Amino acid sequence: MPFLSHGSHRIRYELDGPRDAPAYVLVNGLTQYSELWAAYRDALTARGFRVATFDLLGQGASAKPELFISQDDQVESLRLLIDEIGHGPIFLGGISFGALIALRYAIAHGDRLSGLVPMSAFAELSPQLALLGNALRTGLILGGTSYLQDLLLPMNLSDSWLKPLLGKLDAVKRQGWLVNDVYALQNLMESFLDFQPLTPQLSQIKTPTMILNGEFDFLTPRALHETLRVQIADSALVIIPNAYHAFTLEKAALTADLLARFAEDVLAVRWRGNRAVLIAPDEPGGDIMPFPAGFDHLRAIPVPRAAP
Amino acid sequence: MSQFLGPLDSTGRVPPLQQTRVASFLTSLHGALARQLAVALPRQFNAGWQTELNAQLHREIEIVSLLMRATSWVPDLMLTYQALSWETAWLPKPTSGVADQRLATTIDIAALGHAAHGAIRPAALLPVEASAEDPFVVALRRIEFESSRLIQAQIHFLKGDNLKPFRDAVSAAVNDRHEQVRTLWADLLGTLGIQRGADNE
Repeated sequence: MPFLSHGSHRIRYELDGPRDAPAYVLVNGLTQYSELWAAYRDALTARGFRVATFDLLGQGASAKPELFISQDDQVESLRLLIDEIGHGPIFLGGISFGALIALRYAIAHGDRLSGLVPMSAFAELSPQLALLGNALRTGLILGGTSYLQDLLLPMNLSDSWLKPLLGKLDAVKRQGWLVNDVYALQNLMESFLDFQPLTPQLSQIKTPTMILNGEFDFLTPRALHETLRVQIADSALVIIPNAYHAFTLEKAALTADLLARFAEDVLAVRWRGNRAVLIAPDEPGGDIMPFPAGFDHLRAIPVPRAAP
Repeated sequence: MSQFLGPLDSTGRVPPLQQTRVASFLTSLHGALARQLAVALPRQFNAGWQTELNAQLHREIEIVSLLMRATSWVPDLMLTYQALSWETAWLPKPTSGVADQRLATTIDIAALGHAAHGAIRPAALLPVEASAEDPFVVALRRIEFESSRLIQAQIHFLKGDNLKPFRDAVSAAVNDRHEQVRTLWADLLGTLGIQRGADNE
């Protein structure tokens, strides 16, 4: 297991796939660990990509600073990893908290990226998200990692994913519970205490950007992704049908296919973001459709879009 | 090397020697915290969060009491030397870089508490087959569950604005205590053939 060094901290990472291939770097969500990207490693290396995964500071096998973890340190860890990969094309994807770190990296080091994929993302804390974050933090404090998982699983995954697992949820939760320490998760959450919205800086991102948002994402709903679509010039918002916040877990094959297609389009100079709103297929390889013209993609019922 | 306690007996119980060593370490550590809190607690609280320290004092005592009753103790000569080294390690070490000796000592006690409640995860040693009816198993789960609440007093104090001028010294003190506690815990687990997490690499 290789490690990078950031000051006195060690960052655990993994590189798979051919050394000279375009690389995908994938950034974990808050309670994740790098093994959860295993399906992406397999799918993307089979499509000719190199894949880099790592544990953020405070997660998994990386260092868990005892009192403070700044988001700047997370961005710096990501920079070290991308430097480690070398000079080829880099595509950066991140889910939820990882999407925020990816956005921050793209703002600071956008010239190093060939493409950016924020998934279940946010650039600011809406009142709902801030209050939910506080409630989740309280849940972590009062009930430990297991209770936080109990809150996140039904919030972020669909009935169809949960139903067959209802009798074995303890087994589903166990690895995440084993590798996550309460104080470290709390430090990650508390890195938002001095958080400033990224929205004013999003327009600095010139990189081709595919924004992925689950149709039924409750934690980071469409409006938060809309901020990214509006502010990032070469972006497109792709809505994943029947998906919730954690669609990278639930729909790994579909999401990996979308990642690969995006990168292939960018490398072939076919990508046109145009701030489009698109709908992903239900299955890998299906057609990506434009959102019906004239309707408001921010609504859950077919309401005509208001004139700009 | 295994990551978990065991092999369990046919009823899902942890072997008595493993129980004895794990409980001895935890009793020593939480007993030391209880003693230090009993001495350090101000007679009159002047901040709301300090009420948590009162609860903490009694929970530390409860952990010791619980382990005394829930553990299947067996004689273990190795513990005579180990217990001495643990008790020596837990002695207060006023944090360097803080001139006020009372504050420096309080920071160290909090740092040791942070390490005890943050770095030690006894329930994570239990294999999935461990019996939920066994008192030792339940005790380990209870201690870990309580730790996420107990650590809040240390977090509040160590990350608070009052200690902002000493942030580097505080961070170093907490880091040192974590290193110390982790090392002693890992050494103990090593005597039981257990190696955890990144230590495996």
